[in-house]
Amino acid sequence: MPVNSQLQAQQHRLDPEADPEKIVGALSDRFNLAAEHERILDSVYFDSFDWRLYLAGGLLHEEREAGARRLVWTPMDEAAPPVTYPLPGEVPRFAWDLPPSPLRARIAPLLEMRALLPQAQVRVSRRTFRVLDDEEKTVLRLLFESSEARPPMGGETQALDNRLRLLPVRGYPEPLAQVQKALAQLQLKAPEQNPLAEALTALGRKPVEYSSKLNFSFDPNTRADQAAKAIHLHLLNTIEVNIAGTKADLDSEFLHDLRVAVRRTRSALTQVKGVFEDAVVQRYKEGFGWVGQVTGPTRDMHVYLLEFEDYRKALPERFRADLDPLHRFLEEHQKSAHRQLVKDLNSPHFRTLLKTWRQFLESPPPKRPQAPKAALPIVEVAGQRIWRSYKKVMQDGSSLTPDSPAERLHELRKDCKKLRYLIEFFSSLYTEAKIKPLIKSLKRLLDALGSFQDLEVQADKLRDLAHQMADEGKVPADTLLAMGMLVDGLLRRQQAARGEFDARFADFSESKNRRLFKTLFSPAARSDENPGHL
Amino acid sequence: MKILGIYNIKGGVGKTAAAVNLAYLAACEGYRTLVWDLDPQAAATYYFRIKPNVKGGSKKLIKGKTEADEHIKGTDYENLDLLPADFSYRNMDLTLGDAKKPAQQLIKLLRPLSYAYDLLVLDCPPSISLVSENVFRAADGLVVPTIPTTLSVRTYEQLKDFFQKHDLAGLNLMPFFSMVDRRKNMHQKVMQELPERFPETLDAAIPYASDVERMGIYRTPLNAYDAHAPAALAYERLWAEIKARTGI
Repeated sequence: MPVNSQLQAQQHRLDPEADPEKIVGALSDRFNLAAEHERILDSVYFDSFDWRLYLAGGLLHEEREAGARRLVWTPMDEAAPPVTYPLPGEVPRFAWDLPPSPLRARIAPLLEMRALLPQAQVRVSRRTFRVLDDEEKTVLRLLFESSEARPPMGGETQALDNRLRLLPVRGYPEPLAQVQKALAQLQLKAPEQNPLAEALTALGRKPVEYSSKLNFSFDPNTRADQAAKAIHLHLLNTIEVNIAGTKADLDSEFLHDLRVAVRRTRSALTQVKGVFEDAVVQRYKEGFGWVGQVTGPTRDMHVYLLEFEDYRKALPERFRADLDPLHRFLEEHQKSAHRQLVKDLNSPHFRTLLKTWRQFLESPPPKRPQAPKAALPIVEVAGQRIWRSYKKVMQDGSSLTPDSPAERLHELRKDCKKLRYLIEFFSSLYTEAKIKPLIKSLKRLLDALGSFQDLEVQADKLRDLAHQMADEGKVPADTLLAMGMLVDGLLRRQQAARGEFDARFADFSESKNRRLFKTLFSPAARSDENPGHL
Repeated sequence: MKILGIYNIKGGVGKTAAAVNLAYLAACEGYRTLVWDLDPQAAATYYFRIKPNVKGGSKKLIKGKTEADEHIKGTDYENLDLLPADFSYRNMDLTLGDAKKPAQQLIKLLRPLSYAYDLLVLDCPPSISLVSENVFRAADGLVVPTIPTTLSVRTYEQLKDFFQKHDLAGLNLMPFFSMVDRRKNMHQKVMQELPERFPETLDAAIPYASDVERMGIYRTPLNAYDAHAPAALAYERLWAEIKARTGI
């Protein structure tokens, strides 16, 4: 957009020995410069555990100066001006706790339910020189900054490169061009990284350290048991890295990611058949099944609390307040469920499970494996499993009629999830352009199946909760009636989701996708001489 | 983007001071704010030390030959820009009159700005004209600085009358007392009566203060150079009320 074309802030790296005085001296002959007091700005950069703000192209930092604090959102391309908000108190854990403001409007949709966590501290000493015109109006700012970074919770400081930043003022392109021309003789270099990335690098970290997404890259000829171990190790890392946040209940997604990794682990154990010994599969299938169970109640409560605003909005305005006792009930039960969860995560049973699992995964694969498929190339095992799983989905899905009981759809959902996990584990073995549309169409099918089942589960669970609330003591009749309205609405939506499923399954099973599955995974395709990139 | 008009039929009521300080307070809270100085006297432009000059003047602007955003200047404050006044604005009525659908020309000019700004503050020239009618139609709220005198009350009645007759009764009117001198009996009396007759009157009242007058010497918003002055605090209360009333 032309609006901001002149706003591009110019940054230059300064050598440690470069003297700002000299640079300013050279400029002051030709420009009317006004020096401001040196300012010390203490910043803390914030992002979610999964780096949603950074991935969306922005940096969020809290800036403190002489008792005042503000939150600043800086788009990384710097073509758009930063958005600031004066903070009355601490940085809230969730964006939705910020007062309505342009800043909240910018970051809340990105963060959703994820907590803001401190990522790095940076202290900046800034000397500002303003370039003035003949009305004494500021038309350009020169900022000399020397900075040091610290870990978010304190620790040793690391010096960062000194910077000279030119902050243009909109509508005054000439002074910027003139100062740039004068600076060109100094041959300054542009900084290589944005301020947060630079700080993290200095602290031995990097941005976007965590992602719950799977991103494997396998050689097709890797031994199947080795590839399976690599998948499991990645999933185990995901489980472990989410434990602290789950225990502290920083936000709901630590537990969610942990549970997804557990589900994938179980799926990989049972779906990638014949690569580990049966005893191993049995032991860890049960072990991780237990983890799935003990983490369920807290997740349920998280889901209802996350959905609560939608529940409220689903009711006519005058009935909304009737749901307040339900909210209190959910919060109390979330807390007690979480207390139990922490106990389970601290239990020797859980710790031993992860420890022995890691030992097994990190041990070298046996030279003469007992498991029948352990030594086969992964591309073969993957193809077999995906093909089998796909055929099951197609068989079960095609046999569904509008009168089929809901359980059949729930079964199909499980099968689809298994298929999706398999394809995601092994997608690197196949041409991206072919595999992507398949995953996409499978995801859409799963979404339809998911909402069909979730709506039913939520309706059933709300009825259970109503009984539980009645059993536990006083619950106003109005609250029970309002919950009844919710149940009704959920079941209606479930009916609509049933229709959505038919359309999504038709899309998924269209001939183009069938051909793709066949060329990628069928036995005929796998018997090709070159099993490499299909 | 929300649009606030600052307007009174009468001049010299503290209109520009209100526009400048309200815009400054909004910018401090992170609203990307643009002040459009529509008054050919260019007082808001002067306060921000910007030269009043729009190349091609209002004629080219309204005819679409230049884009409004080409003329925007950054002020000395973060988040706060200004579309300067131009002497040619004195003829804006005539230019608007030549255009098709004259009462909607401003809205058309403002549309491209709506992505770059959260708030547009229009510092309007006094009198009822095509320019002000344009403002009435574009604005989400009209802030009316009113000196608590009998004459001002009459002016406000005239304004409401005009709105009734011109299909503008739905406009969010926010009169507030400006240049208040509590030593004057008449001021006290009017300040009691007006809110009773016109419940839309805002609670915040800006005192008559030499601090406000000194804005012309410092060429700086009052809230930027003396945030604790009684008048500055009054502007803060005024801004809080306007936000609540308009949902900005």
